[in-house]
Amino acid sequence: MTRSLLVLGAISLAALILALAIGSVNIAPSELWKVIQGEGSALHRTLLLDLRLPRTLAAFATGGLLAVAGALMQVLLRNPLADPYVLGLSGGAAVGALLAMLAGMGALLISGFAFAGAMLAMVLVFGLAHGTGSWTASRLLLTGVVVAAGWGAVITLMLAITPSYKLPGMLYWLMGDVSYARTPWPALVVLVLAILVILPLARNMNVLARGPMQAAALGVSVRPLEWTIYVLASLLTATAVTTAGSIGFVGLIVPHMLRLVLGNDQRIILPASALAGGTLLVLADTLARTVIAPEQLPVGVITALLGVPTFLYLLHRSR
Amino acid sequence: MIKLKGLAVMLGWMLLAPPGLAAPICVVDDLEVEVCLDQPAKRIATLSPGATELAFAAGAGDKVVAVVNYSDYPEAALKLPLVGNHTRIDLEALLALKPDLVITWRTGNPPAQMEMLRALGLPMFAIEPRTFEGVSKVIEQLSTLAGTEQEGFAEAERFRKGIAEIAEQYRDAEPVPVFYQVWQTPLMTINDDHLIGKVVQLCGGVNVFGDMPRLVPRISAEVVLEADPHAIITGSVEGIEDNQLDRWKSYTGMTAVAKNNLFFVPASPISRPTPRLLEASRDICERLDVARERE
Repeated sequence: MTRSLLVLGAISLAALILALAIGSVNIAPSELWKVIQGEGSALHRTLLLDLRLPRTLAAFATGGLLAVAGALMQVLLRNPLADPYVLGLSGGAAVGALLAMLAGMGALLISGFAFAGAMLAMVLVFGLAHGTGSWTASRLLLTGVVVAAGWGAVITLMLAITPSYKLPGMLYWLMGDVSYARTPWPALVVLVLAILVILPLARNMNVLARGPMQAAALGVSVRPLEWTIYVLASLLTATAVTTAGSIGFVGLIVPHMLRLVLGNDQRIILPASALAGGTLLVLADTLARTVIAPEQLPVGVITALLGVPTFLYLLHRSR
Repeated sequence: MIKLKGLAVMLGWMLLAPPGLAAPICVVDDLEVEVCLDQPAKRIATLSPGATELAFAAGAGDKVVAVVNYSDYPEAALKLPLVGNHTRIDLEALLALKPDLVITWRTGNPPAQMEMLRALGLPMFAIEPRTFEGVSKVIEQLSTLAGTEQEGFAEAERFRKGIAEIAEQYRDAEPVPVFYQVWQTPLMTINDDHLIGKVVQLCGGVNVFGDMPRLVPRISAEVVLEADPHAIITGSVEGIEDNQLDRWKSYTGMTAVAKNNLFFVPASPISRPTPRLLEASRDICERLDVARERE
């Protein structure tokens, strides 16, 4: 178990260094080392410390947050098609962010509104899923999917009425863009704290995967665990979307890829998702900003183009 | 004796004073932000095609080191290094070219990236001219920042005089109701606050959507039919007729269609806030004269 995590950790580190070295201006690793030590040319210092390092760390944190949130959603809903956005969190965040953009607010307020929108979405689905019956996974899924569709309609309405010059900004936010992240620290802190909170619960999550009845019979307090997973997954998704817009695909695919290779023990899958998701997004972002430079591509396109063949290959190999 | 010596020493210091203590060059940009440079700009980055044209018009074309996509006028701009699109800039490529002045477009450039550039301490001059006088003013301000006042002020004055001439020529011209089509799907036009709207007014045209509240309203074909303009104008590549106005040809009841007043003008000169608006104005005025003959 630790061996696979160490390997993943080494791969993550390599990806980070690669991302810091490559760009519109390539910086050799020896130059990187000089900048870290406090020397190096002024241009390299600005590029590295002000632009590339925050962007790469934000990409790592966002990828990790989305992958862990995806894994949690798949445990909670016991559905392999679940991803972080299935319950309408990204839709709520998008409505918040687009409202802020429509009102002409600055980047900080846009992030704040996005987070508030995601939290509103979380509370809304939570409240609506209760109803008169019991709180089941399928009820939660149905409620979430319908509310997500509602958010989608509001987003379409806002795109239709916004003045034309604001459209490109809104569309790029919806496609997801790591360059928006001004500071990676909130996302990194949330990721680390979340992993620390989740790891003790991982064994119970393994039991929960068998079904709530069996889990209850085996002594797991099912309802509190499910609520905890729901709130955690929502917080992680909200942080990720607030940092970099709605980047798709990472949350759905990374946990599955890891399960094909490492099995379905949540004690391994959850931290591995953080590392693998972060690595994937860092590599995707590096490609997105270099492959047709100086043109910049949205990172969500690259994650799909990278992830789909990889996943299909792993799936093919596993049978 | 001592006083004279002190005076001599003071005079000596004044003569030897380093020339670099000149006052900084300050102008106020279109965001009402004061932009100050210690010395004239030598490496200018322009983040919109219009800004590129304005920099060249101000006489600072040889100081431009970075442009964005579609900076196709004047021809010399085609050879300059690209740093992305005006909606998505490659900040690393921009920084690598070490600009000492960045000309930004208030409504066109992404606010998030502009905030990042501001945080990095680059001097930024925002443009958003909404009137002909605004265009002249921007040219003058850019030439001040670049130290090319002679060329810039001359160009600004040439533009002012040209516009004034056209205004005088068409002061008593018969008004022609005009619909300017910016885009086909969705159907978009402009109101009188837009520079294109002002060009139409200059030539004695009456924009049928001039008093709509939004700068670039999205409308339906029905309201155009209801307004029944006598001329429909749109921009195309080099003014060559293309299929953008074909949808109106089936409405033979429309005055503009009945009199065959479907006109094409070159798209770039009229869409950018630059001295080429003069040529664009003459194009539009000529078309409206044709429409007047056919009344």
